[in-house]
Amino acid sequence: MPAADQQQRGRHPVPNKTIAWALVAAGVAYALVAANTTAFTRSANIVTGLPIIVLAVLVVVRWPLRTRPLELDPVEAPHPWRAWVALFAAVVVWELADYAARGSRADHPTLSSMLDAVDRDDVLKAFVFFLWLYLGVAIVRRGGRRRGRGPSRQSPPAPTGVP
Amino acid sequence: MSSALSYAIWALLGLVTVLLWARSRAVGPSPARPAVVLERLATGTILRLVLVLGWMWAGWHLFAR
Repeated sequence: MPAADQQQRGRHPVPNKTIAWALVAAGVAYALVAANTTAFTRSANIVTGLPIIVLAVLVVVRWPLRTRPLELDPVEAPHPWRAWVALFAAVVVWELADYAARGSRADHPTLSSMLDAVDRDDVLKAFVFFLWLYLGVAIVRRGGRRRGRGPSRQSPPAPTGVP
Repeated sequence: MSSALSYAIWALLGLVTVLLWARSRAVGPSPARPAVVLERLATGTILRLVLVLGWMWAGWHLFAR
């Protein structure tokens, strides 16, 4: 995909596809290892704690100290966040309602209890763990310095041949 | 209240999420794409701290505890 097209779609260009695929493979392998650990054990603590420490280090190293919140063109997108905020609020309300309801957790499932059920299957647990890792990588990348966002805020394309 | 109602509402919220995601890909005035929402959260002064701490807590809660 051309770099200009990637910028048009609001994505960061991948510096090297081989590295990207190697990272995906490493993430899948790590998720499979994590899926074979049991909660409340030292191995689960280590396997889960390692990405948390790595993300904390990456955030300190890669993110700017002072940040400028992303703003979209109000003409092109009058209310870009409203629907997501409403959905998030609905999820929180229902999570709290289920959590506080009297009765068994089976009658009032929370997100945690549903994911606990998913985690009983190693393959599904590996998938969820991989999604968690992927989200962490996305957070680090999106919070880094912006290199151009959409047509109205697009920065000039980087010269070719420059790493 | 039975578990069926609770699961039905969770399913409804999941469906709304999928529809919202699909709507965000449409041309014209539409909700921001999930990646843009994530970038907004990750570039907010306070929100980025909440986002990182939330990610850390979610992982620990789901896989280690």
